[in-house]
Amino acid sequence: MMVKVLGISGSPHRHGNTETLLDAFLEGAQGAGAATEKVILRDLDFTPCQGCNACHRKDGCIVQDELTPLFGRIAEADCLALASPIYTMGITAELKGLIDRSQYLWARKYIAKTLYYPREHLKRHKGVFISTAGQSWDYVFDGAFPIITAFFDITGFEYWDNLIANNMDRYGSIRGHPTALAEARDKGKRVVDVIGKAKERNPAPSGES
Amino acid sequence: MPIKVLAFATGPRRHGNSETLLDWVLASLGEEPGVVVEKFALNEIRVNPCRGCNACETLNKCVQRDDMDMLHDRIVEADCIVFATPIYCMGICSQGKALVDRAQVFRSRKYVLKLPVVPPERKGKRLGIFIAAAGQKMDYVFDGAIMSAKCFFHVIEVKDRDIEYLLVRGVDAAGEVETHPTAREEARATGKRAVARLREMRGPLAGSG
Repeated sequence: MMVKVLGISGSPHRHGNTETLLDAFLEGAQGAGAATEKVILRDLDFTPCQGCNACHRKDGCIVQDELTPLFGRIAEADCLALASPIYTMGITAELKGLIDRSQYLWARKYIAKTLYYPREHLKRHKGVFISTAGQSWDYVFDGAFPIITAFFDITGFEYWDNLIANNMDRYGSIRGHPTALAEARDKGKRVVDVIGKAKERNPAPSGES
Repeated sequence: MPIKVLAFATGPRRHGNSETLLDWVLASLGEEPGVVVEKFALNEIRVNPCRGCNACETLNKCVQRDDMDMLHDRIVEADCIVFATPIYCMGICSQGKALVDRAQVFRSRKYVLKLPVVPPERKGKRLGIFIAAAGQKMDYVFDGAIMSAKCFFHVIEVKDRDIEYLLVRGVDAAGEVETHPTAREEARATGKRAVARLREMRGPLAGSG
């Protein structure tokens, strides 16, 4: 059973530390037999959430743009890897733009109550947060975690693990980091193994991922 | 010299709950003699996200040309900076995060280029006010946002101890803050406390011309 891994890079610049870490994670996943895909958010034309709350009254988002099909791909993925560097103690505005647009799913889950992820679904769907930060503080990712937790909860992924590396200013780049890239490849492989086994034990109902 | 207050309503929904809180605080500030208030709604101007190019670390300015150009000098000149945001997915809304991230130019100036962000005589005499409205009631709903807000204030030379907070939970629908039992009074008190502190920072001659 093919495991689908979707990596989303929320970094405004290409091939930086965070995207390199995401690449290593996807490489590990691919090595374990997964089908991987990478989306670069800055290449998509999209509007952030307008806060209109229309999705609280009527199903779906009134904004239709290049994020609309991306939410479809997120729903089809078995593993979602969200990557963002830390800017000003949080994720980038680009990734926050994607996350805020999940409000229509939040409304389905918590207002209309038409969306529900059973336990078996969460066993088959794993979320990984990938991030790098220039600062050495050990709390530098703390502002990002609650946002990522909320997004995985809304999109139906169990928050499986983090791949985070701080102190980039000291290492110069992720390539100078002693363990991060190897850890990323290892976790990419392991998450595919975990999902593969879960899919065997808890097969998805037909028509669902 | 008047006390200059610069305020940002960062939410995408005009006159929503966080902007209403902001307006109450600004009314409380503005009715005091010698206080001049200027407010911007991010919805009406253009502040792009940070591109992460790090050019400001050498150029001491941002390579992007948008409304941040006119906000830059105002941020430097203000005595009090007020930042209001709705909480979306446990964080600052993406529009607000874009403004926060664009303060990177101040961070580069302060920590990389070691240049002053404000003239030395104004250091420690700037006040920040962080206003947030959340639909949820969890006690940790503001935690992620506060980390980024603090960072924003630090780089624009507002110390931790000089940040006032007005955080209101459980207001989601348009206008809901109007029915909150204490929010209006808290907002008024926040404004009064801010003016008192700003006058104290200026010393005994404040307001004498």
